Amino acid sequence: MSTISLQDTHHHDNHDDHGHGHHQETFLTKYIFSQDHKMIAKQFLITGIIMAVIAMGLSILFRLQLAWPDQSFPILETFLGKWAEGGRIRPDFYLALVTIHGTIMVFFVLTAGLSGTFSNLLIPLQLGARDMASPFLNMLSYWFFFSACVIMMGSFFIQTGPASAGWTVYPPLSALPKAIDGSALGMTMWLISMVLFVASSLMGGINYVSTVLNMRTKGMDLWKMPLTIWAFFLTAILGILSFPVLVAGVVLLVFDRSFGTSFYLSDIVMGTQILPNEGGSPILWQHLFWFLGHPEVYIVIMPALGISSEIISVNSRKPIFGYHAMIYSLIGITILSFIVWGHHMFVTGMNPLLGGVFMITTLIIAVPSAVKTFNYLATLWRGNIRFTPAMLFAIGLVSFFISGGLTGIFLGNASLDINLHDTYFVVAHFHLVMGSAAIFGMLAGVYHWFPRMFGKMMNAKLGYLHFWLTFICAYLVFFPLHFLGLDGVPRRYYAFTEFEFMQKWLTVNVFVTWAAIIAALAQVAFLFNFFYSIFKGKKAPQNPWEANTLEWTAPVEHLHGNWPGEIPTVYRWPYDYSKPGAETDFIPQTVPFSQTMSSNLPHDFEGNTEAEQIQKDWEAANKPAEKAE
Amino acid sequence: MVHTLQQQEVKFDAKPKKFVVWLFVVSSTIMFGGWTSYYIVFSASKGKGHGLVLPDAFMYSTAVLVASSVFLFLATRALRNGERGFQQLFLWITLALGVVFGVLQFQAWSSLYQSGAALINNNAAISLIYVVSGFHLLHILAGICFILNSLVGSYKDIPSDKAIYRQEITSIFWHFIDILWIYLYVFLLLNS
Repeated sequence: MSTISLQDTHHHDNHDDHGHGHHQETFLTKYIFSQDHKMIAKQFLITGIIMAVIAMGLSILFRLQLAWPDQSFPILETFLGKWAEGGRIRPDFYLALVTIHGTIMVFFVLTAGLSGTFSNLLIPLQLGARDMASPFLNMLSYWFFFSACVIMMGSFFIQTGPASAGWTVYPPLSALPKAIDGSALGMTMWLISMVLFVASSLMGGINYVSTVLNMRTKGMDLWKMPLTIWAFFLTAILGILSFPVLVAGVVLLVFDRSFGTSFYLSDIVMGTQILPNEGGSPILWQHLFWFLGHPEVYIVIMPALGISSEIISVNSRKPIFGYHAMIYSLIGITILSFIVWGHHMFVTGMNPLLGGVFMITTLIIAVPSAVKTFNYLATLWRGNIRFTPAMLFAIGLVSFFISGGLTGIFLGNASLDINLHDTYFVVAHFHLVMGSAAIFGMLAGVYHWFPRMFGKMMNAKLGYLHFWLTFICAYLVFFPLHFLGLDGVPRRYYAFTEFEFMQKWLTVNVFVTWAAIIAALAQVAFLFNFFYSIFKGKKAPQNPWEANTLEWTAPVEHLHGNWPGEIPTVYRWPYDYSKPGAETDFIPQTVPFSQTMSSNLPHDFEGNTEAEQIQKDWEAANKPAEKAE
Repeated sequence: MVHTLQQQEVKFDAKPKKFVVWLFVVSSTIMFGGWTSYYIVFSASKGKGHGLVLPDAFMYSTAVLVASSVFLFLATRALRNGERGFQQLFLWITLALGVVFGVLQFQAWSSLYQSGAALINNNAAISLIYVVSGFHLLHILAGICFILNSLVGSYKDIPSDKAIYRQEITSIFWHFIDILWIYLYVFLLLNS
């Protein structure tokens, strides 16, 4: 398999003017089992979009139940059969809906859909590489992901239904196939699906890291990489270091479920029957799970942060504020994310001293996060802002990152968490900071790089409609949930009618559900725009956003190997926007300093005295007036 | 076409691909790290480990695996010196020792089982011995595939930089699973 890509490399380096005629690409090798990173990116994106629509549909189903617990919707029975007998969603199916919604959104959409799409698309294109380190492994990565999706969705078509122990699948509920319907075959399929998913993520992540470290074009040192690449790179490292631990935990869970071991089980009575398992501890699952689970939320948000750094800088026509600070804060988040997992477990009977340690590390993460936030705001400050749809979504990300991040400080507090744990406050927090922020980052990326992916432009007006409806509705959905949480309303409850103190929140639930329905309808504007523009969109120019990065120098028509002829060399960092003295308000990375004598600054030369001297001589000859000042 | 193919081999860049194998080694180490940290936390909270005298078969299998690593090293050296015959011989010996290792692991499991320390056990530390050694054996299986890949390359007489690449990724992986097993064995010995 690898010979094919080798042939290509060779071909481009040496015979620029030949076409690609002698590569017999069939439909199967071009669209299905493609090894080209751009096609794999599109495969990830479209699969991710389909999964997102499914997961959004599931959320509407359980929102209907929460808003109108006593009302019958006969249409539901038509579609869901026994799971909605009499038009009302059954309690165990409600739990399945919540579980699969969370699993799909966190893993399939915001991990694979986000990293899989943009790492694949941008790492080779922005670094100037022909393809990934191992295109074959890259293809496998997609097909493992696809199989994981199929198996996860397949669990809707079995007798006992999908897994329903929550997306964190805590034992003992998940470990005992007889405990609830959702812990039977559906849970087994969940576990198999997740193992395939982790394998896919690892293959992807390993490829990304190896490509970033080994395959950058001439001149592209680490400190000239766009922030997108830094974010994808660190995300991939996080994945490589944390996903294997989830596999370790899942394997033990499989042994408990299927072979009768006692890794997580002890002292369990089911009905009148005492189970033989002894000595295990469900808390150990939580440790293994959250050792992945917490880095996972950064795996979700960091690519979105990287994408919005790039988009905000391009559309503010200003260099990103604090390029180095942005990178160091990403590195800081990466390191800190491994030592905070205990904040998910404050109420497991954890030693208060240990809780204090996890509390401090958790609160320290606020520092790099705040650095990033202020840098975004400072980049926007007095920029020549172009409000493209991508820019709006990137700014939306910043908004959600702030409003959701602030509540993280509440929840990271071990003592406050006693009250807030497992309430709607948590739901509100992570849906804003990780759900909405990350999905806005992803949508920003789609709007921004759509021309690069498909050679067409998306309709901007529909984009604005999509943004405003989604942005407002997301706040209307998630903001009221904070107040439910502060009042002590627990997550995952099927109906609010049975508890006196929760009944007053029913009207709020109706409001939230209507907002969710409008938000879901707003996505139709996006879906139509996306698929229509692929075929009928306006043809994209070479560099529609006047950006500096390398991907806009590659031809709009895709070819395997990305650039005909030699790969462009990089001379400068990617954020030379509105540089004083320059002719245009952007200077692509491929323009050498010798062509921009009028705008060069002393620090551009990084201490190269020879270049500094040339610059001084030029200035003496050409800028006598300025020198006099 | 033969000519162009040979030219391409000159341009073959093994470095990123070798790095991929290294990163796999890292992630695999972390998976086993997950299990051994489960073991540490489990035994610390219960105040007991597996409490067994590990079967002698584990000792023999460790010795066999170390020996296999030595032969793999010799195979790599033979390839560097251009002695493909010796490379093939040493690779076959490595492969055979790998198979012997697998057989010894099965013997170890059966003697564990006969001594009453079965997989299904109310002491999760004992169950974990089976899990880590079992997943390690899966890695041996993958390692044998790497060795076969090197062997096939050697018999097909592929160009030397590709042959060296195949031999090198085999070495990285096989030495890794050798060291991994020593780690697991010593870990289980020390934390009884």
